[in-house]
Amino acid sequence: MVSVRWQRVLAPLLLSLLLLVSACSSPQEPSRFAQTQEETTQKGAPPAVDPDAQKGGSFNQFFPRSVEGYEIVPAQEKQGFAEYKVNQDGVNVAMLAISDTTGSGAADKFQSSTETIATYPAVEQGQTATAILVGDRYQVKVLSRAPSFTQEDRAAWIEKFDLNGLANLQ
Amino acid sequence: MSNSIYELVDKLPTGGLTVKALKSLDFVVPGQWQNLTGFENTIRSVTGETDEKLIQQIGDRAVTLYNDKSQGYQRALWLYQTVDSASGALGTAALANKVGQDVSFLGFLKNLTPKPERAQSIDLTVKLVVELVAFCQINGIPGDSIGDFLAALKDYSGESLMRMAALVCFDGLVPLGPDFALKALSFVKQMSPSDLQQNQTFKAVSPLIPGGDPSGQLSFITQSFDSTKGWMQHFVASHNLTPDKVVNNLERFVEISKDKLDYLGAFLDMYVKYYEHTGIQTLSRRLIERAVAEI
Repeated sequence: MVSVRWQRVLAPLLLSLLLLVSACSSPQEPSRFAQTQEETTQKGAPPAVDPDAQKGGSFNQFFPRSVEGYEIVPAQEKQGFAEYKVNQDGVNVAMLAISDTTGSGAADKFQSSTETIATYPAVEQGQTATAILVGDRYQVKVLSRAPSFTQEDRAAWIEKFDLNGLANLQ
Repeated sequence: MSNSIYELVDKLPTGGLTVKALKSLDFVVPGQWQNLTGFENTIRSVTGETDEKLIQQIGDRAVTLYNDKSQGYQRALWLYQTVDSASGALGTAALANKVGQDVSFLGFLKNLTPKPERAQSIDLTVKLVVELVAFCQINGIPGDSIGDFLAALKDYSGESLMRMAALVCFDGLVPLGPDFALKALSFVKQMSPSDLQQNQTFKAVSPLIPGGDPSGQLSFITQSFDSTKGWMQHFVASHNLTPDKVVNNLERFVEISKDKLDYLGAFLDMYVKYYEHTGIQTLSRRLIERAVAEI
């Protein structure tokens, strides 16, 4: 009798334990980027860059050139995007980028912008980025890569781009 | 389906032979390589951002860019992975199963044979060309731009510079000696296109090597290596590198035997997957740099 009662108690106990262990060892939560992964690997997923976006090479002429104390080094050049490094004494202190917002939605954030740099709508993004929208299409962004490169530095470097030239790029 | 970029970065090992061997080269490029792993961690480290919404946006954009095959990032990864596995494909299947595990040099010595200098020379030159082509794929430069690559090489830092340091040390100095650059160049200059086609490492990556046919590819490889030879020689001279110094430092991290240097090259080839490891790190860094600038 005693052993039967034991079994009655033991079975649910073991079952609960099993449930608890399997709950704890269940697979990790899906990554926070899993949804994008799924959407962008589906058949017929749209391209990452709009086919009408400018060639990255067409942006090169609008970037600032090296000045004393700062070396401007080409980094990336892809369709709709070009990026240069700003190096000071061989250390990367900032990045300069132009991107074509055609089809990307990146221009939306400028609609609520109240600031301007060189007459163009400007936004701060996080702690390290300042961006403007030129000609309602091209995003010019300066990103700090060292604490010494401040928000004021970012705004000053944005003004070093040939913004008028970029505004006229068709 | 192939792995997502975040899985690849999340799964990068924090220990094991590849990481140990790369750490042993810190004396060559001090502080340049910290073995950055984890996708979110890489986003925070590269951008310096802490805002969760922004990190989500950056990661989503990076994932999108990676998954679009026409952007070239997947081709670059394939090159890094393939050149590593092909150059190490010397051993038996039993040995291949141990790749990635912590194996000791002495324990496996009996199963290794030294790679002939010619094969090692082809490996070195093909690996260098793979770096050039992957660099062009990642950064969006025409695939045969030797000049652009040479200019960028001067600005290499972090894991990219570590990869080049490992190429010079593990695929040049250790297996071929101090005059490895001249030796390798003279080997490839004497080679015929059919010799090249018989090399495992070349065979594996040849679809993406510029040049059109094996003869054109051989001349592209020779020209690329010849142009980069000066950078490598300067790298060795400016860091006072010798095979002994590399091996002495390696000894501090991995159990090896100095009197078996011939075998050490083969051992490193087989167990140290530094192209793939640092290649994934370079790839994720560039993706994140682009993503944060585009959002």
